[in-house]
Amino acid sequence: MKRVFAFFIFLVSMVSLVLPPLNAYSEEKTDSTAAPAESRLAMAYLCSSDSVILTATLSIKKGESTLALENASIEFTVSTGADSKFLGKAMTNQEGIAVCSFPYTGLPAGTDGMISYTARFTGSDKYPGAESSFHAKPAKIRLSFSIEDSLRILKVTATQKNEKGEEVAIPGETVLIYVPRLFSLLKIGEIALDAKGSGTLEFPKAIVGDTLGNLVVMAKIEEHDKFGFVLGKNTINWGVHKQYYKAEVPSRELWTPIAPLWMIITLLIMLAGVWAHYMYAVYELVMIKRLSKKDKPLF
Amino acid sequence: MEEELNKNQKNSRRQFIKKGLIAGAGVAVGSGLIAAYVDSTAAETGEKVKVLTTGGEIMEVDRGLLKLPRVSREESHKGIPGRKFVMVIDLGKCKNARKCVQACQKGHHLPKSQEFMKVYLLQDSEKTAPYWFPKPCFHCDNPLCVSVCPVGATFKRSDGIVLIDNERCIGCKFCMTGCPYSTRVFAWKHYPEFDVDKEPYSPEASSPGKEGTVSKCDFCPDLIRVGKIPYCASACPMGVIYFGDVDEDTVTNGTETFQFSQLIHDRAGYRYLETLGTRPCVYYLPPVDRQFEVDRGFGDLDENIKERYKDTPYSKKNKP
Amino acid sequence: MELQQKNPLKEFAPQLERTSIQGYAWILFLLMVIGVGVYAFLQQVIHGHEVTGMRDNVVWGVYIVNFIFFMGVSYAGALISGTLHLFKTAWRKPIIRMAEFITIIALLIGPCFILLCIGRLDKLHYLVIFGRIQSPITWDVIAISTDIFGCFIFLYLSLLRDLATLRDYELLQLPNWRKKIYKALALGYTGTPEQQERLNRATDIMAAMVIAIAIIVYSVLAWIFSVTLQPGWHSTIFGPYFVIAAVYSGSAVLILCMWVFRKVYHLEEYITKKHFVSVGVIMLVLAAFFGYFTFSDYLTKWYGSEKNDELLIQLLFKKFYWPFIISNYVGVLLPLLVVGIAKFRTITNITLTSIVVVIALWLNRYIIVVPTLESPYLPIQDSRPEWLNYSATWVEWSLTATGVAVFCLLFTLASKFINIVPVTGLQKEEKKEDILV
Repeated sequence: MKRVFAFFIFLVSMVSLVLPPLNAYSEEKTDSTAAPAESRLAMAYLCSSDSVILTATLSIKKGESTLALENASIEFTVSTGADSKFLGKAMTNQEGIAVCSFPYTGLPAGTDGMISYTARFTGSDKYPGAESSFHAKPAKIRLSFSIEDSLRILKVTATQKNEKGEEVAIPGETVLIYVPRLFSLLKIGEIALDAKGSGTLEFPKAIVGDTLGNLVVMAKIEEHDKFGFVLGKNTINWGVHKQYYKAEVPSRELWTPIAPLWMIITLLIMLAGVWAHYMYAVYELVMIKRLSKKDKPLF
Repeated sequence: MEEELNKNQKNSRRQFIKKGLIAGAGVAVGSGLIAAYVDSTAAETGEKVKVLTTGGEIMEVDRGLLKLPRVSREESHKGIPGRKFVMVIDLGKCKNARKCVQACQKGHHLPKSQEFMKVYLLQDSEKTAPYWFPKPCFHCDNPLCVSVCPVGATFKRSDGIVLIDNERCIGCKFCMTGCPYSTRVFAWKHYPEFDVDKEPYSPEASSPGKEGTVSKCDFCPDLIRVGKIPYCASACPMGVIYFGDVDEDTVTNGTETFQFSQLIHDRAGYRYLETLGTRPCVYYLPPVDRQFEVDRGFGDLDENIKERYKDTPYSKKNKP
Repeated sequence: MELQQKNPLKEFAPQLERTSIQGYAWILFLLMVIGVGVYAFLQQVIHGHEVTGMRDNVVWGVYIVNFIFFMGVSYAGALISGTLHLFKTAWRKPIIRMAEFITIIALLIGPCFILLCIGRLDKLHYLVIFGRIQSPITWDVIAISTDIFGCFIFLYLSLLRDLATLRDYELLQLPNWRKKIYKALALGYTGTPEQQERLNRATDIMAAMVIAIAIIVYSVLAWIFSVTLQPGWHSTIFGPYFVIAAVYSGSAVLILCMWVFRKVYHLEEYITKKHFVSVGVIMLVLAAFFGYFTFSDYLTKWYGSEKNDELLIQLLFKKFYWPFIISNYVGVLLPLLVVGIAKFRTITNITLTSIVVVIALWLNRYIIVVPTLESPYLPIQDSRPEWLNYSATWVEWSLTATGVAVFCLLFTLASKFINIVPVTGLQKEEKKEDILV
């Protein structure tokens, strides 16, 4: 549950980034009430290994400015031809985003395998409703690794669900191979699938993994008329072991919080030398004062 | 009608695919520290986000300050574990569009007179070609500014970022003379922008430095913590600025991602004024195969910005 | 014993007892200058450092120039008084106290100028709490405070005999509180052989210390500049160069002080041409050294022609032409000619030369600080004129004047508190001709 929640949060924040630019909204009430409001709903679809994720972004256009609509209820439905199934409701966040995710296995099968997804904002007393839909055929990509003749081989296999709900090969498509990085995906190759829906790639050598050399490898079909966006991933320890930056190691440099040892020693020697002499001079002054007391009876 | 529908569908598909791509990246990366991927539009949306409530009220939300996590002062002195950040700037693509400067100023709530990112018009010698030179802080590995700071107000973290703690800074400006790249700026007076930030202070937060203290480019550690690249990198329409983790050997400008070592090798990357021995963490790709003429950089600049370059050898030479 | 011989204090008593109308007018004038300075300072506190001419490129301006200048004058006093003491120079007696006063007063004013340059005075204590040993500013904080301590001890040691004399001089017409101060400060010194021996030993040690510290402290000041990579600053010669320039400026200030006090307190009997010529000769030697260091510094930069050094030298010979010529040509050659040639060697000439030297040395610091900051590695590309070129504002000039005024005021007050010419062991100048005179 926690994981699902975390996933949700992250997805929300992700999609928030692809919002259209929000221009400054006019403060004047007259402006905002005069122009008729127009609701806009955009939907994103992702078919990942065992689930489908739908993300709807709701914005209101008034005149020149566009604003996200918060706390609006978005209804998601899935349909195959005449059959229609209500998936659920989600509320938009501050950035107007609502997310719905459900397992791959629960999907109905359409006549040609195509499924259509719909997100709907029913509208409120102030804003009109809006709807957005999308059609795609569920698909899957699997990755496997092997070593042949001391070469590292990555193999991908792509399947789709046919009308009967069976998984059959996707032939002839192009699969892009990525390694996820801190900020983005690093592309490491492309595989053209054969008739059996699979293909191979010699895995490049100099890819940095984690400290143990572990790498997440992702295979994706992108921008496909039938399958939309499909993602598969797997982990392998073929990466170069990551060497952490040595900044934590030097502790006594000119720029570190603690000074080099000999700098401190030099300073202490100089200070000790000078202040010892000061002390001596002050001591002499104290002695002069003492002598006067001793001498006083003489006068 | 059907054709219209198809077209719409196609469009929406294109859109979804783009988003899906990004979402996919997030799916894979989205564990631990990193939560999201950045799109170039994110920076342009800027700091003020206005939100409509269903009741029709407009709420103004400060995205930059509200949405980004803020670590404690203590934590911000340490750095993001296991990372070492690097920037690569492709001089061949820069046309002085100044989107990096604007996004940075907006993101950091800077007054107009303070620029963390500056764009210079350089010409190394009389007969060599002039080029635009965006210059952030180089976050040197041997940072003289840090060495000379008397109170440890500027410090180098484990992730390589050189940061300033404005609560600690006494404003002696020694770091400003220590930096050979004129990177640091001083708050000569109190700017109204300084009042924007009401949250407890953190050196990592993209809030402006206080009056009488020094500030500079910080590689946007608050953005990095949520998996975004700095404002300048994501705002550049040309994708000039690449950012990444050098230990991971990857840099990205938001749309393209390269292996850092490969990029530096193939494009003969270099560091500015290497001879000074400061060991910068910002690399430049030489201005070859230009996409734009240098003059394009003068395009639609404000008059006062244009004024800046009037004394450069290039501008003087081209004077009628 | 030594106190009972005769009391030369009689001659100096009037300057301690009475202040003339001109004296009061002078003090009032100084207070007015200081008043304007206080107003200027308030402007800076209220409106921020924007009221100065400093901007992001030239971050250090006239304040730092004044800081170096006053510290230089101070160290010079220490070096001259220390050296003269150690070498037991016979003619030092009438002028040594002035040198000591110069030291301590300039040392109190100098650091105030660096405070003016600091953006957050409310966080000044961080220098102690969070001090980093690698920073030359930390060295400076340690060195200057050590120096202030040392100079106070040295001054006190050399004042002790006179304080005892003042305590014991019954004819002195002074309010009781002042007599009490003299009594307390005199530490019961009565000049017994053991007291004398201890006093001499302590003074000798402190004289040596003061010299050593002065050299170190002024080098530290130079290192603030030379540890950076800035063209024109990043120079190994800067330490000794600054020390020499400091002593040089200090010798000139000493001559000025001698002239002023000679006139005001009618000390013609004690401070004679011989003193002027002797200090003048010291100034001549230092001028030669100063010229030599300046020459070596710029010569190597000129021949090396590193791009940014070359730009700097171009700037010095164009925009800073007159300051450069005055500080590095006139300021070097004039003392050589005036003191070097017997015919020109008069009190007035030497004093006038000193004025030129003081101005030249101030300009010298200016053309060390400002042109370098105006020609950084990356060319300054800015449309705001005040960002391109530094020019000090009235606030900075006013506070500079305040520094000079405070110097004069403290000197005046000090000369009212204790005789400016030490009376102990002082003999009237014998009319014995020197080779130089």
